[in-house]
Amino acid sequence: MKKNNEMLSAAEIREKRLGVLYKILPVISVLLLVALWLAASSSGTGFPSPIQVWDRTVQLFVKPVKKLSLIGHVGVSLRRIGLALLFDWTFGIAFGVLIGWFPRAKAFFGPLFNAFRAIPPLAWIPLITLWFGIGEFPKVLIVIFGSLASIVVNVQAGMSNVEKMYLDVGTVFNATPRQRLLKIAFPSALDAIFAGVRTSTSAAWMVVLAAEMLGANAGVGFLISRGMDSLDMPLVLTGMVAIGVVGAILAIVTQFAERMICPWTRRKKSY
Amino acid sequence: MENNDVKVRVEHLTKYFGDLHVLDDVSFDIKKGEFLCVVGPTGCGKTTFLNLLTRIYMPTKGDLYIDGQPADPKKHSISVVFQEPSSMPWLTVEKNLRFGLEIKKIPKDEMDRRVENIIKLLGLEEFRHNYPHQLSVSTAQRIIIGRAFAMQPDLLLMDEPYGQMDIKLRFYLEDEVIRLWKETGTTVVFITHNIEEAVYLAQRVLILTNKPAKIKEEVMIDLPRPRDVTSPEFIAIRNHITEQIKWW
Repeated sequence: MKKNNEMLSAAEIREKRLGVLYKILPVISVLLLVALWLAASSSGTGFPSPIQVWDRTVQLFVKPVKKLSLIGHVGVSLRRIGLALLFDWTFGIAFGVLIGWFPRAKAFFGPLFNAFRAIPPLAWIPLITLWFGIGEFPKVLIVIFGSLASIVVNVQAGMSNVEKMYLDVGTVFNATPRQRLLKIAFPSALDAIFAGVRTSTSAAWMVVLAAEMLGANAGVGFLISRGMDSLDMPLVLTGMVAIGVVGAILAIVTQFAERMICPWTRRKKSY
Repeated sequence: MENNDVKVRVEHLTKYFGDLHVLDDVSFDIKKGEFLCVVGPTGCGKTTFLNLLTRIYMPTKGDLYIDGQPADPKKHSISVVFQEPSSMPWLTVEKNLRFGLEIKKIPKDEMDRRVENIIKLLGLEEFRHNYPHQLSVSTAQRIIIGRAFAMQPDLLLMDEPYGQMDIKLRFYLEDEVIRLWKETGTTVVFITHNIEEAVYLAQRVLILTNKPAKIKEEVMIDLPRPRDVTSPEFIAIRNHITEQIKWW
């Protein structure tokens, strides 16, 4: 007889089983995808198998494309979004605070900003190319145009929905307008601001690939368009897998940063 | 001579919201260091009354004087314990206690001294670095009470701070407030709809009428502390106040 055969209610047993199930399900889904991929690639339509893609990936390290390995191309793309996000997280947050906290600023900038964010980033390409050519700066600019709105919108929402209760506490303690902004409104909006950080990161990652596909000689997006031009489908899939993996890592990193910087948003889990 | 120890004087306080007449010509004094309870039927304008005292609203007529001068949040210090939990979720317990003091720019060593004292009085040592959401509702509410007392306010207003709590916690926290009040000598106005709570806490109870609220009666309570809620004197006062609220 097992000693740890403790008494469990039906609900507890169910919960335990569900816990195991939740761990297994993601593994099953990945395995299913691979199986599906294998099946699709065996039908002889030129769709590469996982093994071919893996070989192509390894080959990319041995024989780089444009003197850059896969890591190098990922690095180039990351540098572009890094520069863009640096701008998003300084100017974008400041602008979001401005239009979220000061109704006059919102009345003044609101309509223009809404029009601006309705324009897809790729629509800017002709103008940006005309003005700035095809160097590094125009690509970063396209990424900024594609990711700025998501952080501004989130920051603005956080700053304009500060709970009245917290502001009342400030009124009672006779806080100055500056203290109301810096000690109450801004910290209370930090979780909304972080939501903006997360969405702007993923938006930037999407836009940089699109920008690179349209004319670049490095970056993951470039790898995909190069693969397309030379009918090198394994290279295309290598690029796609890299995009997925890096995107997932970025999401995890920003989530981790949020937990470090705003530990109070980790509700419930702390019990 | 008697006027000397009047801390707060409320004169002809009247408030309209548009056509809605909420408060009608309320006048009374609060002595320095007094514990005053305000009771009244639900929806009679208790919270409006409190928001007038804190200057979140301005009165339509009448005024509020602290130490003989019109109350001015710049000169006087008024603290409030709101009905809903109002601790800042992004600050730890200790930083929440410091919040008001930092707003008022109290010198650092004075701030440390007061905060340590409050932490000790409330027994919050083990929660010092926790965030409010990690605490029980009652502990979170104690932070607010501590934050208010740490200000050493001229006037401390409490708006049904124990509204959501069960009887056992209520008694525990009521004793705690009495202890803090005695230790600090703060002038307290405590608003509640719970008559037993008012009789347990107050030196004096103001009974408000239904809207527009006026003062119906003042009841002095000089029962010894800690008060026994089952003693005949206690029950007699409680019943009297209940009658007054029922029969406007």
